[in-house]
Amino acid sequence: MRLRVSGQHTGTEYDMHSVVEGATDTSGLPQGDLMNAFAEGICNRNPTQTEAARKGIVDTLGEAAMVDAAAVIAAFNAYPRAADATGIPIEEFKLEPTEGLRKELALDALPSRH
Amino acid sequence: MANIFEIAPATIRPPLLLALETAWPQLAEPGAWLTGAQRLAVVAEARHAWSCGLCRERKTALSPYTVTGEHDDLGDLPREWVDVIHRVATDSGRLTQSWFSEALDAGIEEDEFVEIIGVAILAITIDAFADGIGVKLAPLPDPQPGTPPRERWERATPGPGWVSTTAPNNAGPELEDHYVNGRGQFNIVRSLTLVPAAATQLFALLDCLYMPNPSIRELEGIDRSISRAQIEYLAARSSSLFGCFY
Repeated sequence: MRLRVSGQHTGTEYDMHSVVEGATDTSGLPQGDLMNAFAEGICNRNPTQTEAARKGIVDTLGEAAMVDAAAVIAAFNAYPRAADATGIPIEEFKLEPTEGLRKELALDALPSRH
Repeated sequence: MANIFEIAPATIRPPLLLALETAWPQLAEPGAWLTGAQRLAVVAEARHAWSCGLCRERKTALSPYTVTGEHDDLGDLPREWVDVIHRVATDSGRLTQSWFSEALDAGIEEDEFVEIIGVAILAITIDAFADGIGVKLAPLPDPQPGTPPRERWERATPGPGWVSTTAPNNAGPELEDHYVNGRGQFNIVRSLTLVPAAATQLFALLDCLYMPNPSIRELEGIDRSISRAQIEYLAARSSSLFGCFY
């Protein structure tokens, strides 16, 4: 998972459970709670949560950060749908490196594990 | 559409603004398999899916395939198209190969299927960005005239998923840029390549929303106001919320 790779590159350790469970202040990710709330608000189509998180990100990191965060979340409204609607499998070269993480987060149990 | 994001309360990076301005009118143009009017009807149905009672019931069910009934739809598209659009919009993480096969058995051409989901996903993506930055959803443009050629893309072959795709080593000029810098190694880039325009239109926007080549380390050469770790957290968390393994 690229979040873990990014952490290895910068020397930071992130709590990967935060990806499945939602970030908390202890996940190691700066503004993790705000990022999580923004992702949940947009993906779950919850305008109240989205608006609160948007304001929090603007107040904390600035408007450009909010736009960049919204852009990433929007992109990942597309990739999962494109993958799951076409049955796209994970690449062979990713299987071994992600085995431990998939087990740790029980990802192999997802219905979309084609 | 240009006005919707140009007058947004937040400033949008110029390349992203251009990508949004390019993508929205494409939804109204004739595609490879669908007319402009059909494509806009798909967009409208994708938006409408969130208020469908059947989809809400399925979403909360242990298995969506145990819940039967009729979709609340706008009445402009065949029933089997509506099921594809609604499920992709509201519960994509639990789609199955059987569901896909049933859609084809019901009369949807494989190529049509790819264009239908491509249009729906493109519209959902633009709407998600609008929701995020606090802009009202754009009104649909007028459909553009023209007849889709409806010709099978002969470079496509079965796999790697349920739907036929075009392998990077068989791309041809239409998909040469799509597979630039070796990114064809990622199966997701192949997902919609049975209909090349569906793939290139969607990924032209995704390249600006996320990044063209996720293989790069950190943010080398990319100008963003959040860290790479925050980007990848948002990516992974959003995928998780949709129940996406990939």
